[in-house]
Amino acid sequence: MSSPAFQIRSGRIRAAGAPGRVSGLAGAALHRARLTVVPRTRTRTGPLPFVTLVSFVLLAGVVGLLMFNTSMQQAAFTATTMEQQAATLNAREQTLRMELDALRDPQRVALKAQRMGMVIPATPAFLRLTDGEVLGTPAAATRENSLRLLPQAPQKPAVLDPAPNVVTVIGEPADPGAGDGQRHHGRDKNKQQQQPRTDGNR
Amino acid sequence: MRRMPSRPSARARGSLRGSPHLRLRFGFLVIAMVLSVFGARLVQLQGVDPHAYAAMAAAEGTDIVELPAERGDILDRNGKPLADSVDGAMVVANPELTREKAPELAKFLAGRLDVDYFETLKALRLKDKQFAYVARRVPASKAQAVVAAAEEAGFDGLDTRHDPVRDYPAGDVAANLIGFMGTDEALAGFERNFNGLLAGQDGSERYSVGVGNRIPLGQATIEPAVDGQDLNTTIDLDLQWYVQRVLRQTREDARADSAFAVVLDTKTGEVLALADDPTYDARDPRSAKAKGDLVSRAMTDVYEPGSVEKVLTLSALIDAGKATDKTRVVVPSSLVSGDRVIHDWFTHDTLYMTLAGVVAQSSNIGTVLASRNFETGQLREYLTKFGLGQKTNVGIAGETQGILPDPSIWTSMTQDRIAFGQSLSVNAMQMAAAVNTIANGGVRVSPSLIRGTAVTDEGLQVGTDTATTERVVSKRAAHQMTLMMERVVDPDVGVAPSAQIPGYRVAGKTGTAQRVGPACGCYNNTFTVSFAGFAPADAPRFTVYVVVQNPRNGGGGGSVGGPAFAKIMSYALSRYGVPPTGSAPSRLPTTWRPGQVASR
Repeated sequence: MSSPAFQIRSGRIRAAGAPGRVSGLAGAALHRARLTVVPRTRTRTGPLPFVTLVSFVLLAGVVGLLMFNTSMQQAAFTATTMEQQAATLNAREQTLRMELDALRDPQRVALKAQRMGMVIPATPAFLRLTDGEVLGTPAAATRENSLRLLPQAPQKPAVLDPAPNVVTVIGEPADPGAGDGQRHHGRDKNKQQQQPRTDGNR
Repeated sequence: MRRMPSRPSARARGSLRGSPHLRLRFGFLVIAMVLSVFGARLVQLQGVDPHAYAAMAAAEGTDIVELPAERGDILDRNGKPLADSVDGAMVVANPELTREKAPELAKFLAGRLDVDYFETLKALRLKDKQFAYVARRVPASKAQAVVAAAEEAGFDGLDTRHDPVRDYPAGDVAANLIGFMGTDEALAGFERNFNGLLAGQDGSERYSVGVGNRIPLGQATIEPAVDGQDLNTTIDLDLQWYVQRVLRQTREDARADSAFAVVLDTKTGEVLALADDPTYDARDPRSAKAKGDLVSRAMTDVYEPGSVEKVLTLSALIDAGKATDKTRVVVPSSLVSGDRVIHDWFTHDTLYMTLAGVVAQSSNIGTVLASRNFETGQLREYLTKFGLGQKTNVGIAGETQGILPDPSIWTSMTQDRIAFGQSLSVNAMQMAAAVNTIANGGVRVSPSLIRGTAVTDEGLQVGTDTATTERVVSKRAAHQMTLMMERVVDPDVGVAPSAQIPGYRVAGKTGTAQRVGPACGCYNNTFTVSFAGFAPADAPRFTVYVVVQNPRNGGGGGSVGGPAFAKIMSYALSRYGVPPTGSAPSRLPTTWRPGQVASR
């Protein structure tokens, strides 16, 4: 298969190399070989655009860098101020929370409540909501079972706290109009009321 | 002039300036001198101590800021702060600048900060100093505002510096547990015992600065601060406050030396309140009247528990199968024990009591007679299991471990006295936990003051996570003991009707023990009175133990400790919403008649 193909090809070559056509081809080659220098069309551009470009780039770079730097600096200033502001606000929040805790102090709340006449109940009792039943033995919370919230004042020395000067006056039963006798009676009554109270406290 | 023709250069001799050689030499000399000075300086800089100079160069333009770690808070069981840290500042003055206007400035500061006028005046006028404290531990925002206001008013020389404030918002509430801080270090209580945990680690930051502002993209290294951890306690702030107020009233009314109380959650062993009186204001530790007021007496006081201990003896006896709540005891008027005679607190002829009656009337003789049924060493074994003689390790430094006599000195006489609470010493926490064992159906839960877990500076791990449980007596024994203890608060047969809470079933036991005086080491006729109990008796929620040292009003455990117990228990029950169980109270017989047949 390969040998006939070769023949065909070589035939063509031969045909191409036929002397009858040489002149045309050579002419073209010659024509091609006779290259002439194309006259330079030098358009001399001035250095200005390039210099302008370079200096523009340079300027833009410098300005950009400056602006970048300035903005960074500005950001740093802002950051510092804001950090300070955050610290101040944080401190403020903590101070407020401290004040809140002081206000929540159970002692303070209890003192205020007691001044308003409130008493911590002595006996717990519950009301069951489902059937309305009272659990426990409810008892009224009275002044007697209020808790002493402040320490007792220290005992004064005898010099500063002398025993009360008691004068016993024998009232005249025949003199109903005398104010003295009535006052004395009233005092005695007070004493009788106070007596069981102190016992109860014990 | 004669030589002039022979030497052409001689013409220049008239003015030396013209001589290039000389000029050169002179020039070189000067240059050499300058260079050698440079060289010497170079050697000095590079050869002698290059690092110091390098460091100085680096320090110029760098700022080092300390980043203080925030100290952890101490919180109660609901997250309310018992101790917290606030960003604070100190106000400092430069006396050289403030001296001139000192009186005006002192007046200005005294009006705005909580400082004394005269102290401030003195500080502002300090001689030859450029630094003086004006106020310390001021909340930061307040300090800055005051300094800014002062500057606006034309006063110079004030500045602020970082100075954290430790605040105790509840004042004296739980102060004996929390402790307090000194100027720079923790001095007492949890603050000291858990200092490593609370303090954290300070950090630092260094960066380049220019005109007071940090340079962006400049060198900066940050070592972040590690904040301290919060310490979560099991304390209930409000209950603790109430207990402290009740104790103060009790102590004042009884004219006693001191009083302390423990409130335990029966099931978990968490300490809801551990109160001491007298106490102090943690915000002002110098307000304490005595040094002993600074510590927790409940943990550091050793004392003989007295009759409260009978609860342990008799429940152990029932558990050992040597008695029941209906065991009959014939109680003579006195009992010989070795070379001593044991009496009861009340004089009586021979009494016929059940074991419940022995408890209800707190009879020493009855308890001793019953306890003589123990085998050798048995009682000590039980008491050890109840936790006596060992530290409770709840996280309080300086806890006493109490005294439980060694078996080598444990004679039958000793045992007789120990049976009713003499010859052994405890701290309040041990005793509360021991009584709580009965409340908890015979299982002892180790008490804890810290929620979760925390490690003390000594390396001891404490907290609810490490709590242990151990069965000490059987459920049956604990139940019988509870029924007997209910009779104590019975108005007819018991000694402490004032400890009763209307509507509730309360189980308790009084204690009145003689105190050992420090002078002679003998009983000095003063007393420790106490009351321990729990409620509701058939489903206990809380165990409360109140101890009053040396009451001078002649009161005993029932009359002094009982009412305090009732108040504290009532408050706890209503605060935690525990309604009465509504079951019938214990009706155990307390006496028997000689001819009667035992009914079991």
